[in-house]
Amino acid sequence: MSTEAKAALREFRWHMPANWWTRNRHYFLYVVREFTALPLALWLLWLLVEIKRAGDGPTRYAPHESTAFVVFSVIVLLFALYHSYTFLSLTGVIIRLKVFDRPVPPRLITLAMFGAWAGASVVIGFVLIWFAR
Amino acid sequence: MSEEVQHRMAHTHLIFWFLFSLGGVIAALLIPVHVLIQGILGPLHYVLVVDRHYDTWVQVLGNPLVKLYLLVLIAVPFYHFAHRLRYLLVDFGVHAAKSVPAQVVFYGGAVVMTFVTIWVLLTTVPIKLG
Repeated sequence: MSTEAKAALREFRWHMPANWWTRNRHYFLYVVREFTALPLALWLLWLLVEIKRAGDGPTRYAPHESTAFVVFSVIVLLFALYHSYTFLSLTGVIIRLKVFDRPVPPRLITLAMFGAWAGASVVIGFVLIWFAR
Repeated sequence: MSEEVQHRMAHTHLIFWFLFSLGGVIAALLIPVHVLIQGILGPLHYVLVVDRHYDTWVQVLGNPLVKLYLLVLIAVPFYHFAHRLRYLLVDFGVHAAKSVPAQVVFYGGAVVMTFVTIWVLLTTVPIKLG
């Protein structure tokens, strides 16, 4: 086999440029959406540590309240809200429901999920504050 | 590949897709309010929050329903995070993230998180009924 023929048989591997996600607004927002997982995971790990610290006893337990922690939480909140908005917006596309053999409109499903988000937030917020008394 | 193996793989795939979706929903519905209240308003002293004082925090953590809630809140979203972060690496050209060892690391990590969360919840504050 000639050198040219061997070269022609060689597998062609196309590589995405490293900055592909900065070239288009939709790609960028897609990457931000996928990246939300990391700050949320870090915050949940913090919560688990906070629970574990409760086992240290009353004299050694001190809740976090540094500026760095609040700034971290503000950043996490922005990512959390973006995750909630994008994920719940998709529910109308993903969930298929039928009531009396008639499909429930996707907009209604999305609206119900946003309603559930608001309801859950109010209940959890109330519990977190009420039991502090 | 035998039909039985294909069936088993499809079953495993179904379980992890279910956990991915469930984790996404739980993260979307529950995490923002926890971050807002426990991460921002509580530390800034705008509101009194249950984890600000040892007594109230321990009292709540002893409730079995709270333990179950915290298990769902903390452990389940990690199945969602594992999937998203693995595919983010694939999108950034890390082809190794598609491999079986990578799947074991990411989804196995989520399973480990479940066991760690159970361990923390069961060993930190004893369950108090009533």
